[in-house]
Amino acid sequence: MVTKPGGSDSDPSSSRRFDNKEISHYKVPTVTTDPIVLSDLLAELALRQLPCGGWAALASSSQPAIEPTCYSALALSSAPVGEIARAQDFLLRTQNPNGSWPVFPGDDQEGGWITSLAVMALRDPASAIPARFKGFDWLLNFAGRESNWFWKWKFRTTDRHVRFDPDKYGWPWFPDTVSWVVPTAFAILALNQIPCSCGDLEQVAARIGCGIEMLFDRACPGGGWNAGNGVVYGAAVAPHADDTAIALLALIDRREHPLVQSAAQYLEHAAPALTAPWSLAWAILALAAHRRPIASLHSSLVALPDLATIEDTSALAVVCLALDQQRALEALRVAP
Amino acid sequence: MSLTRRDFLVASAALAAGATVTAPFLLPKYHSDRRPKRSRVAILDAQQYSERLDQVIAAGLRLFPIDVRGKTVVLKPNLVDYIPGNAINTHPLLVMAAAESFRRLGAKSVVVAEGPGHQRDTQLVLSQSGYEHNLRDEKIRFLDLNRDELIRTPLRANYTGMTNLWLPRTVLEADFLVSMPKIKTHHWSGVTLSMKNMFGVVPGTRYGWPKNILHWKGIQESILDLCATVPIHFVIADGIVAMEGNGPLNGTARPLRKIVLADDPVAADATCARLMGFEPDRVVHLREGSRFLGNASPALIDQVGESVNAPATPFQAVPEFRHLYDL
Repeated sequence: MVTKPGGSDSDPSSSRRFDNKEISHYKVPTVTTDPIVLSDLLAELALRQLPCGGWAALASSSQPAIEPTCYSALALSSAPVGEIARAQDFLLRTQNPNGSWPVFPGDDQEGGWITSLAVMALRDPASAIPARFKGFDWLLNFAGRESNWFWKWKFRTTDRHVRFDPDKYGWPWFPDTVSWVVPTAFAILALNQIPCSCGDLEQVAARIGCGIEMLFDRACPGGGWNAGNGVVYGAAVAPHADDTAIALLALIDRREHPLVQSAAQYLEHAAPALTAPWSLAWAILALAAHRRPIASLHSSLVALPDLATIEDTSALAVVCLALDQQRALEALRVAP
Repeated sequence: MSLTRRDFLVASAALAAGATVTAPFLLPKYHSDRRPKRSRVAILDAQQYSERLDQVIAAGLRLFPIDVRGKTVVLKPNLVDYIPGNAINTHPLLVMAAAESFRRLGAKSVVVAEGPGHQRDTQLVLSQSGYEHNLRDEKIRFLDLNRDELIRTPLRANYTGMTNLWLPRTVLEADFLVSMPKIKTHHWSGVTLSMKNMFGVVPGTRYGWPKNILHWKGIQESILDLCATVPIHFVIADGIVAMEGNGPLNGTARPLRKIVLADDPVAADATCARLMGFEPDRVVHLREGSRFLGNASPALIDQVGESVNAPATPFQAVPEFRHLYDL
């Protein structure tokens, strides 16, 4: 019988749900929190895998999507080989001809920020190396619109309501828009995984550097980040825990920078009050990477009600990563 | 004067070239004129958010000849982000009251659906803004439109130049879509009311947070394309505590103590604009929307409930939108 701490072990529905899964396959050797909770959630995550090998954004959906598939593949990397291989095959099948990834199969083929997630989720198999390099190459040529001289000029002269320096650009969510914090942070995390600096990839360090400067430029005045608007019409806009956490992961090499320190302090202060699994899980990962205490946050996360029935599959997968944070941070190459 | 064959060909070519250049500016940018002959708007007094709102909404709905029996009703509140003390979101008690009223009217199902445009963690916004426990207590399903199944949908107007958008299945398949905005000023669009509220149906997973492509294509233009493509069947606007100034997030709370119900989004928003002390014709998407989406003219609106009284002091707006109330 699989039970949760504090929960009832007499709930017949929860036990039936996993009766036909080989729970013992979900080894969690590096977990520092309750392994039973994690194996329970990993089993639920595995149950949500679609026949095509991908995962849908919502538990009630059957439309596979790249983002939940990437998080799930990262979370289930200790799962039986067949399942993770099916996920990787799904990602390889869905790559766009230009090297990017779409949001979901059947999407327009222009690609988007999820390319960063896909190249990280495909970090292990040798067969994925060509696809990863195509993805890296696409990412290097993918930039916020403010990287173009005309839009730089516009943002400097006529469109000044959002405070930012257009010389410092990162990555947008999708083509033809400006840079935002989360896609920039994920692109930095992804490009930091390039194994060598060769061929067309020589510009990697410069792009990462520019992206980091963009993150610093978009920080909220009181510390942390939101989507990317620190000050609008002269008013400071509040930070978000999840955006801050993802930016902190990308800035792991700048641990001592004052803006990173103040963001980590904001997150430490905000995290205990978080009541949603997505934000709390990202906070745990970021604070662990920045060597901040997380034990009480772990307890809060496992105490959240109905974790296994979270409708948002990406959130479920990120919770699994947070509960196995050492392996997750190694997968993201940000382990302290 | 005689016209040679050469003159005729030159003139014809010039005429054709002129028509090619000017036609896009002269032809309507919408596919069909959906304006009803007359629209109905009800302004209801509501002093505060309370459990009694379900009686207010139920009484208000009786002023309209609507039939939702056996229909799938989707309530689309304005749920953007949570900042303590800021009147950003449609109040959950108003949404619960609407859900209860539509259930009593025989709706097959009532779903609350939204795709927040600023905060990526929808569950956190639901929790912090008081929706989560209300939805659970009332057993109302919430659907995150940022993560719903998507269907490529041809746009039924051409203000942005986009030909299609990926839109959520739940909204496209709704029998009865109710836009439930918070009455607010907006620093990019002047006002955010039932029509601007439709930005929330554009999925973040496909277009990002914020849904930046809509800003690049033009906010007013995007509102028109969206409202032409996803018809709003009814409006319940939360003006009990509205917002003025630097909306939609950092404005100042402005108690208006009104709820606006309407069977036409343009009529609803024009009425809300008047209640804010604004001239609806100066709001670009209202002026253009009144050509094909609904009625903005008071002569075409049957006003029930309270009358439209402009406030003694108009809502404050950022400098770019002071023309909404300046003479």
